[in-house]
Amino acid sequence: MLTRAAVQGPALRSSAIVASVVDLKVHFRSKRGVVHAVDGVSFDVADGETVGLVGETGCGKSVTARSFLRLVPMPPGIKAGGAIMFRPRRLCEACRGEGCAVCGGTGRVPAACPACKGVGCGDCGATGEETLDLLSIPDARMREIRGNRIAMIFQDPGKALNPGLTIRDQIAEVFFQHRTAEILDAAGVSASSHDPGALLLRRQAGQKSRVLERILLAAPPFRAGRERIDAVVDGLIAEALAETQIPNPRKVMERYPHELSGGMRQRVMIAQALACNPDLLIADEPTTALDVTVQARILELIRELQQRRQTAVLYISHDLSLVRRICDRVAVMYAGRIAEMGPAARIFENPLHPYTRGLLAAIPNAATSRGRLAAIEGTVPELVDPPHSCRFAGRCPHEVGVCSEYDPPLGVVVEGQRAACFIHHEPPAGSGERPSYARRTR
Amino acid sequence: MSAALEREPTLGTSSGDLILSVRGLEKHFPIKEGALRRVVGQVRAVDGVSFDIRRGETLGLVGESGCGKTTLGRCVSALSDPTGGAVYFGLSEADRDRLDRLRSDTLATPDEATPRELAELEQRHRIDLLRGQDWRRYRRNCQFVFQDAFASLNPRHLVKDIVGRPLKVYREASGADLTERVVELLEQVGMGRQHLYRYPHQFSGGQRQRISIARALALHPDLIVLDEPTSALDVSVQAQILNLLHDLQKERNLAYLFITHNLSVVRHMADRIVVMYLGKVAEAGDTASIFERPNHPYTEALLAANPDLADDPEAGMRTLEGSVPDPARPPQGCRFHTRCPYVTPICGWEVDDLVRWLENNEGMFDALSGVTRMSPFEAELGFDDERSAARFASALRSDSVPIPMRAAMEELACSERAVRIRFTEVPEVELTKRGHDHVAACVLDSLPGRGEFGRRQAGDDQQQSAAR
Repeated sequence: MLTRAAVQGPALRSSAIVASVVDLKVHFRSKRGVVHAVDGVSFDVADGETVGLVGETGCGKSVTARSFLRLVPMPPGIKAGGAIMFRPRRLCEACRGEGCAVCGGTGRVPAACPACKGVGCGDCGATGEETLDLLSIPDARMREIRGNRIAMIFQDPGKALNPGLTIRDQIAEVFFQHRTAEILDAAGVSASSHDPGALLLRRQAGQKSRVLERILLAAPPFRAGRERIDAVVDGLIAEALAETQIPNPRKVMERYPHELSGGMRQRVMIAQALACNPDLLIADEPTTALDVTVQARILELIRELQQRRQTAVLYISHDLSLVRRICDRVAVMYAGRIAEMGPAARIFENPLHPYTRGLLAAIPNAATSRGRLAAIEGTVPELVDPPHSCRFAGRCPHEVGVCSEYDPPLGVVVEGQRAACFIHHEPPAGSGERPSYARRTR
Repeated sequence: MSAALEREPTLGTSSGDLILSVRGLEKHFPIKEGALRRVVGQVRAVDGVSFDIRRGETLGLVGESGCGKTTLGRCVSALSDPTGGAVYFGLSEADRDRLDRLRSDTLATPDEATPRELAELEQRHRIDLLRGQDWRRYRRNCQFVFQDAFASLNPRHLVKDIVGRPLKVYREASGADLTERVVELLEQVGMGRQHLYRYPHQFSGGQRQRISIARALALHPDLIVLDEPTSALDVSVQAQILNLLHDLQKERNLAYLFITHNLSVVRHMADRIVVMYLGKVAEAGDTASIFERPNHPYTEALLAANPDLADDPEAGMRTLEGSVPDPARPPQGCRFHTRCPYVTPICGWEVDDLVRWLENNEGMFDALSGVTRMSPFEAELGFDDERSAARFASALRSDSVPIPMRAAMEELACSERAVRIRFTEVPEVELTKRGHDHVAACVLDSLPGRGEFGRRQAGDDQQQSAAR
């Protein structure tokens, strides 16, 4: 019988891999049984590329993305297997993040593997780069990565921003958490002095001060230092906001989220996400709550910032026409699995999986005539203890016997494009006939 | 005013008879403030909209969020009362023409009492004046499908009760007969007898929307108002629902008022389209004509921002600057002029535009101490010191302000610490005819970059106003 063991990681591109998901399985415990929300998903994200993760509601795309930052609540979630390997970058010492020949203009270089000092060992997959399994590292290490090396833009900026904090306090948190040393450096506070003033300010810059310390910091001998820190942070925030083309950032900083329009809020979220120059940006339907005209501007902004900083982006969306515009590679998910994966141009011009074909045909566009659309019949299957078969069986127009008995592998069909369908892969011997596009069975 | 009304669109080709006519519809919401809840302003959600809907056609209503499309849908289906204008139901073609004539006469002479003829017509057809049998006839013929299929179905009622309720209210059926009718309706929307005794939470989003549609169909209405019926659904389910709506329309000769923000969907569904911006109609007409030759910059911008699978993926998305202005204080002249890429001096430049421009120029805005408005077009801006006032005045004369804005300034006087400024006063832009069954509210005859004619025309406009 064919298993997913036949599936290797997608072909390496010339640029380095920032993150790779290896056979990720996230299940949820429910009253009716175990829901296989994500059931064996593998893909890579290379430096500077935009990977689109598309699919309908409940296909597991958001759970996959949230697993990167360990935002899936456990329980009820169950880590059923697999790993997410992430290779954090550090600041390029040759140019201090300005961009030079050493780092390829990105200002970041891979961190050396602590086990082998960059020689290459089993831990780092012989690359010599530090490789972390995001699902098993300790919480403290995860907190260092979250919002710093991997950042996320959420779907609804109205809900993701704290309504009780001004935009300044909101974004200041990111800087205080992840760029403490830099702030202290800029504010002229010694990093090693045992002077009580420096000590207090160091705690303040790390967001560790307690009530009493804050009272002390408001008093004359220490106030000047605290004001210096605030000025530095304000400068950083204004810079981050200005980068997302927010007019008059110093004024916007004073506002609360409810005073801003949807598009502005999403810009603040993007500014917050990009504040620490992350290696990987996860955008979970960032424009679903916005109007088309605003959506176009936000997308342009993400694209422009990404090209400038060479950040890898994992873009999650249900809107295929959007993904087509902005992604380099696309993975189409269905019922917890990847149905098809490949370069965006290929997926949209020559989709290989019947589900991708169905999905593309179901979207009205300028070229479709009025009247009936080619809808996919039936509904998404329940993922409670799914059978060992093709997940699309039951709705597929080309289904034959083998489809409901064996699980098709996500193998390479043409260079760079993979599809999990027996139309493209030889079914196991003696399992009957092979499905084909030439024959509709329903 | 009467000239403007004559030019008002009588949209609609001759196919099918009239079902509903909307004339000058307004819905303003009061803004209340203070302990006494004093009314301090009006949010003009819908501000003078007119169109007709005919039997068997789909009228698409598109626009960004907050443009008033849902409010309009609610007014049309009498879920909220308009504050001005009216919705007429069941007018004949001749009556409609008579009504338009009478209305424009009354508007031209507002002092005189409403003529008896008009009063009689309104009594019989205006939906907020209908009583008794006429009212019941209208209510059963105009149904509504809401966006959120979960919130619009009572969670404590069975499907049988939900779909059967209209039939019960109008005493169409009862007992076993009622059950059979409900089954029939469910079958029409692709569901069946097995779903009768279930609660809404037991269904998926697509199925819930089907239940909503079955309920709307129960009384064989002429018109269904569909308020974003598919925006909460996945694409594959959306295709199923759109197909269902299409089939039902063919079968029953239904008319739809299809409210949506999704241009790909509206292109697929609608015969005619009304594009709304800030409570007003920006452009209206035949679907093909609007998509192929948009005559309003807003429509063009919407189309450019809409990603479509048939487009070239490499083509950049053209985007709009700025955000939708506050509907409580809509811009003068053309409401779109604050964001329009083709803005001219006669588009309605006003004091608010100046303040907005100042806000984005940090240095100068801080020195501003107060703005005294004489009218929307005329104001005196006070500054902290003489130097900032002089700097501001010279900035206004330089290239740092948009050229059309500079051309629209009639008076610019700098006196000590104040700058007095007056813009050309312009009336609101009316809808003008752009071809068979196509109207647009834009001062340009055609959009620049669309042929030699368009470019020359736009240039002429600018020269003309500059000369003035």
